[in-house]
Formats: sequence, structure tokens, C-alpha cells
Amino acid sequence: MSGDALTDSGLVGVAISLALVGVAFLISMRFRLSLEKDLAVATARAVVQLSVVALAITFVFEHELLSAVVILVMLGAAAWTAGARLEGIPRGPQLAIFAISSGAIVALVVLFGAGVFDLEPRFLIPIAGMLIGNCMTAVSVAGARVRDELNDKTLEVEARLALGVRAREALNPYIRKATTTALIPVIDTTKTVGIIALPGAFTGMLIAGATPAQAARVQLIVLFMLFGAVAISGMTAALTVTRMFVGPGERIVLPQVK
Amino acid sequence: MSAAGTTIEIEDLSLDRGRRPVLRDISARFSEGVVTAIVGPSGAGKTSLLRCINRLEEPLEGRVLLDGTDIRELDPTELRKRVGMIFQTPVLFEGGVRANLSYGLEAVDDSVLERALEVAGLGASFLERGSTALSVGQAQRVCIARALVRDPEALILDEPTSALDMKATKRIEELLGALAQSGLTIIVVTHDLDQARRIASKGVLLDEGRVVTTGTLEEVAAEWPGGVA
Repeated sequence: MSGDALTDSGLVGVAISLALVGVAFLISMRFRLSLEKDLAVATARAVVQLSVVALAITFVFEHELLSAVVILVMLGAAAWTAGARLEGIPRGPQLAIFAISSGAIVALVVLFGAGVFDLEPRFLIPIAGMLIGNCMTAVSVAGARVRDELNDKTLEVEARLALGVRAREALNPYIRKATTTALIPVIDTTKTVGIIALPGAFTGMLIAGATPAQAARVQLIVLFMLFGAVAISGMTAALTVTRMFVGPGERIVLPQVK
Repeated sequence: MSAAGTTIEIEDLSLDRGRRPVLRDISARFSEGVVTAIVGPSGAGKTSLLRCINRLEEPLEGRVLLDGTDIRELDPTELRKRVGMIFQTPVLFEGGVRANLSYGLEAVDDSVLERALEVAGLGASFLERGSTALSVGQAQRVCIARALVRDPEALILDEPTSALDMKATKRIEELLGALAQSGLTIIVVTHDLDQARRIASKGVLLDEGRVVTTGTLEEVAAEWPGGVA
């Protein structure tokens, strides 16, 4: 079927793959597994959502300036989501937008500025989505973990401060734990790439007809880009959240979680 | 350890937490070579007052003087080395006794660590011990040794024996007496008037965030809310 999935005749492929869902549907009916509704809703949602996204992206591809708007909307939605996770932290949404941008936007500027990818919507939008989404998760995890650590280990933190160390040093173990937790998924993905599963960009490019060497090159760019951006965002979130809780006189002012 | 004490003076200190008044117009003086007990019922503000002395809390009004110098003029890290604080529950960090004693210090000689352990009533052999195998009483004495390594002029202790059994309590009480005799300024918060009588020669009685009386323990006992405990 090489190439057919990318042409109009690929609709036949969609129908064939849909038939597999139909088989699952029949098995569920036959054995009264009650999965029919879930299968139908999930299938319908996939068709509708992907069609709408395809139409929207087609529109954006034809109007290049809209790319900036799309990226801003993505960034706003990510900051909103991460900000909600940072409940109890003063200026959580602003902090989230700063931390997400420090990784994602900086990576976009570097990659497109250096010409690694052409500055075209078909590259810019999916790569921005990947970066912003992954950085958002890292910011939520790192920021919330620092907040929770400080709440749970107040006595330990104050025992450190009472020994005459700077707040930055007293808080360092908790910053380290939070950033490690936030970065574990991307570190593990990078360490096991190609061994446990073939990653998305690599698989997608092979299916689209690229050589394995080309697919590996692009995959490495994607991996390193995500690795770097997520690490920067996670560390920025942990450090800035920590700073929110250091009061004058090298003491901590604890986060208030509702 | 030089064991030179310091005079701590509190002048008209008030503290709010949120909008809630915690301490009001507190004045007190703590002399070197003396154990002073801050006593009073639960919620009287004893711990909050102690925390103002090493700036873990910032008062709303008033000031704390260390040998005549307003503590806000001192680097907080320097202040906290000069005024060591011991908490109600002993807190030991990751690593063994050696790592705990030398925490935050750039280079410290083993002889200094061993001397601090000996003063705290633990042998020098404790230096190589892990933190997890210690009893609560031993852990509290490691915390005191950890403060002593920083060569403090004063020790402020927040209910330091409340988690200990009678035998361990007695050893800590004896240790505090010995440290005061060597010249250190010792301030102990306790809700137990009997303990205050055993270890302190002066007392400050607090109730509802205000000083009720200061003086000898007999004078303090006479003013204890609800009669002598």
C-alpha cells in the first residue's frame, strides 16, 4: 500500500482500518461486553476531531500569519492548564507562561532561526504543539512538586535554615527532587528510543516514504529539541516557584493550598 | 567552641499571622550563662516568640537585639549560626551523623565535630553512625551537637524533650545546665512548669500572646493561669 494512505485512494485504507473496529464491535455484541457504545463514540469523535483539525490546519497553512495566532492560543491554553495545577502558588498562571516559554519558545526561536526547519506553518505548528505540550507537563509536575514538598517538609526546611544556610541552599534538595520527577519521562524516552518502541516522528516518516536514515535524523532533532526544552522549562518552573516562597531574611513563606 | 554567651533583648515586639494577633508588646531580656524558660499554656505564643529571635518569623513591630545590635542589621545566616535553634522533633537530614554535623559548612575539622558530639553527651564514635539507627534522644543530641559545631553564643530550644522518654529528658536537661555553666545563653520553651523549675533560674510567663510576668520560677509559678501547676 506504499503511498496510498497519502492520496485520495487512502480513504479505502481508512475504510479497511475502520472494518477492524467493526469486527471488535461485533465481538463485543456477541459476548455482551458492552463496549459497543464506547467504540462507536470514540470512532465518531476521532473522525470529527481529526477532520476539523485537518480543515483548520489547511486554512492556517494558506494564511501564514495565522500561525502566530495559533501558537499564542496554544501557549495560552497551556499556561491556563498548568496554572490550574499550580494552585496556591502566587501568580501561578503568569509563572506557568514564563516557564513554558523559557523552554518552548526559546527552542522554536533557535530551531527556526538557525534554519533547522523551514519557517513554514506545516513545520511551525506541529513542532510548536509538541514543544508547548511537553513543556506544559514538565512545568505542572515540577511546580506542583516543589509546592507539595515545601508544604510536607516545612520543619525540615526550617531546620536547614536555622543552621545558617542561605534559603537557596536549604531549598536545593526539594528543587532537585521536583526537577528529577518532571524530567524522568523525557529522560527515559530518550534513553530507550528505538529499543522499546519506534517513536512517532520516525514511524511517521517511514510510512510517508522517507529512508530510515532520514527518519532517524529527524527523530533525533525532535528528541533533543524536546529534551532540552522540557529540561529548561522544568528547571525554570521549580526555581521560580521556589523563589515565590522565600521571604525577606532568608526564611520561607509557605504556600497556602486551598 | 568558645562558649561565650550573648545578651538577647526583646523590645515591644508584636507579631500577627494573617490578621490574627499572635504576640503583643513583648519585652524580655535573656542573659548569658543563664537558662531562661519561656512558659505558658498551649497557644500562648511561646514558639512564635522563639522564632522571632532567629528571624524564622518577622515581627510586625518592635525589635530583637543581640548584644545591643538589632538582628535585622545582621546577615540572617550569621545570626542563625550565633543563635542555634533546636526544634521539638529532632530533624536529621540525608546522610549520616558526620554529614549532619557538617551540613552547610565548607570545611570543618573532625576534631571539631567530635568535640561537639562529646559536649552533647555522645561519644566521638557517633561521627561514623548513620542517622536512621539513632534513638529519638540520640537524634536530639545530634541536633544539639550540630548547632554547637557552629560555635553559637546562644541556644534557643522549642520543647526539646517533648518527644523523649524520662531518661533521655533528664540527660538533655543536664546538658542544658552544663552549656549554660560554660557561658552560653539558653532559652527553653516549655509548657511544663516542673521542667522549667528543674532547669531554669529565670522564667518568662506568656498567656494569650502577652507577657504575664518575668522573674524567678517561683514568681512565675505564682502567676500561672488557673493556679500553680
